[in-house]
Amino acid sequence: MSGERHDAIVVGSGAGGGMAAYVLTKRGLNVLMLEAGRHYDPYKEVPMLTPHRAAPLRGVSTPDKEFGYFDATVNGGWQIPGEPYSSAPGSEFMWWRSRMLGGRTNHWARNSFRMGPYDFKPRSRDGLGVDWPISYEDLAPWYDKTEAIVGVYGSNDGLPNHPDSSPGVLHDPPKPRIGELYIQAAARDLGMPCIPARRAVLTRPIDNRAACYYASNCGRGCAIGAAFQTTTSLLPMALATGKLRIVTDAMAREVLLGPDGRANAVVYIDTKTGKEARVEGRTIVLAASACETARLLLNSKSASFPDGLANSSGQVGRNLLDTVGASMGAQFPLLENRPRYNEDGAMGLHLYIPFWLYEEQARGELDFPRSYHYELDADGRKEPSMGVMGSIADWAGGYGVKLKEDMRRYYGSFMSFTCRGEMIPNGHSYCEIDPDATDRFGIPTLRFHFKWSEHELNMVRHFQQTTKALIERMGGKIHWGGDLTPEQAISKGGQIIHEVGTTRMGDDPATSVTNAFGQAWDVPNLFIADGGVFASKAHKNPTLTIMALAMRNSEYLADELGKRNL
Amino acid sequence: MSANPLDRVRVDRRTTIKWLAATMAAGYAGCSRDEKRVGPEIPPATSSVPAAPVRVAGYGKDPDLMNPAVPWPRTLTDRELETAAALADMIIPADAHSPAASAVGVPDFVDEWVSAPYPEQQADREHVLAGLEWLDTESRTRFGSSFAGASDTQRAELLDLVAWPERTPPELAGRAEFFRRFRWIVVGAYYTTAEGMADVGYLGNTPIAGPYPGPTEEAMAHLRGILEQLGLPAP
Repeated sequence: MSGERHDAIVVGSGAGGGMAAYVLTKRGLNVLMLEAGRHYDPYKEVPMLTPHRAAPLRGVSTPDKEFGYFDATVNGGWQIPGEPYSSAPGSEFMWWRSRMLGGRTNHWARNSFRMGPYDFKPRSRDGLGVDWPISYEDLAPWYDKTEAIVGVYGSNDGLPNHPDSSPGVLHDPPKPRIGELYIQAAARDLGMPCIPARRAVLTRPIDNRAACYYASNCGRGCAIGAAFQTTTSLLPMALATGKLRIVTDAMAREVLLGPDGRANAVVYIDTKTGKEARVEGRTIVLAASACETARLLLNSKSASFPDGLANSSGQVGRNLLDTVGASMGAQFPLLENRPRYNEDGAMGLHLYIPFWLYEEQARGELDFPRSYHYELDADGRKEPSMGVMGSIADWAGGYGVKLKEDMRRYYGSFMSFTCRGEMIPNGHSYCEIDPDATDRFGIPTLRFHFKWSEHELNMVRHFQQTTKALIERMGGKIHWGGDLTPEQAISKGGQIIHEVGTTRMGDDPATSVTNAFGQAWDVPNLFIADGGVFASKAHKNPTLTIMALAMRNSEYLADELGKRNL
Repeated sequence: MSANPLDRVRVDRRTTIKWLAATMAAGYAGCSRDEKRVGPEIPPATSSVPAAPVRVAGYGKDPDLMNPAVPWPRTLTDRELETAAALADMIIPADAHSPAASAVGVPDFVDEWVSAPYPEQQADREHVLAGLEWLDTESRTRFGSSFAGASDTQRAELLDLVAWPERTPPELAGRAEFFRRFRWIVVGAYYTTAEGMADVGYLGNTPIAGPYPGPTEEAMAHLRGILEQLGLPAP
């Protein structure tokens, strides 16, 4: 590889890197991709229908597999041996990583909500944070194109700030299940919409990917290609062009700056041998994940950039955002002993509750400035697991034949409600290089600072009050989470695994790292294609937007290369 | 993001709610569980001679998912297994619907569980072993017979001391917590077997060609009945 000069080096094979490689190779460019983890093939490695009982400990989470034995994550989780990170005193940040081809796209929930017009201009709406340098209209066509390739089920409901897709783009959503219809009836009665969710799961085949067959948890990965991950879609499609070469087990350490002020190479460690190698490119696209990309830039120091590459603004690592999470669970006596049917469905949300109070918020009637949506855990007749069944036994109490009757009676009568909300950038939340630590490759590691503000806590309080009203309207009994303060109920930073913002885009080189195309202000042939470029973090799960931006910005990169501007 | 966040959660309503809420916050959605554990308010009673901890390797960060295997050896003695089986069958006896716990391998799973090297299982190991010893000793003292050899009525007399925490005498609170945890393990193990899933009527994990059919007419009629009771419009 040494000596060969690629049109682009792409670091990372997840949502952003996969999309960048797909677009660039389709444009005829020669791409080399570096992936820190091992090769991974969902067609061969996903145990689609294997029951929990086949796994050690019935598949429960352990420190080795923190989302359970069959979760797709390889060599990852909250902790990776030999690859530490730290939290500053007073902060507790959780950082989920995976070390595998396809990155975290192999196991995500596939929730794929478009950001809307309000979400791109938050400061204009409430005076907080910053606006994006682009509008919804700029990204809308790229959302359509991304959804067409990815395959997203959902419906067009014409709600404010929850944009419709162009006709024909979406796949039909699966029919709602009993719990979802029950919640929908009560939600509507309280003035809340409850509509088909949008998930990156096929309900009709596209390319060589099959439609969902409504079994097997998507978190395991999908051996039929129905649930989107780059390893069954963008990467094979890019490889089919003959223009992509993927190097796995390659941990990027540093981006090198040439004498002309352009990034010209990436130095990586071969994680199997520990040896250092270097690859050269006319352009460099970083998509290692928001925090890994920030780390890579901060570790790429030179005389021109003593504080890290592309960091003349000092904004690399700043503006760290995650989604606001909180939950409440309830038991519903009216669902006891309900009729049996196959409730697996698409193994995720069929319906959800989008934010519904934009007008009230604009009139100043709410004590929090941004929005949240509800995710519904309403498939109570899901596959029995240790946790689900054990908690029912705790609820029922006792033992013997009566306990067995109670297990039949209560199974399927529990549901839970989850808040996914928007965090506003604050000066207390960022990552930086830990001066005292390196990983097993000798690469300096990250230290996190994180703090929620009253905006997020007030939002959680609103969620809690609304959820109690919903549960009461449904005749339910709160099972857990009902007596927590917002401070107790809110998730930890990073826990929702939606980190974005650490290399944000903007109109002003003094306050942002990239321009509106993810192109570093300081280094024109350096692009960022992961969630780092988010200027704000809407309550919507970020992966779809990462991909739409990566598609748009990679097209721009290819255009600029074609014009010899890079 | 395993099937359900409750998979790693012990629901002790009095003590773990905060932790549970934090973990559920992450829910299914690409998301996470908290690392921190809040221990039970009432520590499980332990034996005067603590159970020897297991010090072997787990299955690692990249196990072969297509060929799952338990790499650690089982550690329970025959006597502990006998007591565990007798207790498991008191919790899940045979009835007209399904077999007893011991008929579908639950005692062996208890052994797999308490022999695992991970922190949660190691914590259980200590109080499960102590709890089994307590049951057996108590049975010998009261009835002159091992717990496994005692009659169902005699076993029930012991379990009734600890199976309902609100009725449990304060000095036995730790034993009640042992019983709750043991029941959690047994119930989880049992209802993840084919027999247990059939008993509660789990009908999924079956590939479907074409669109998801949704609820049956019977299930929809039941839902309409619920909504009518609540004065909510039918879908």
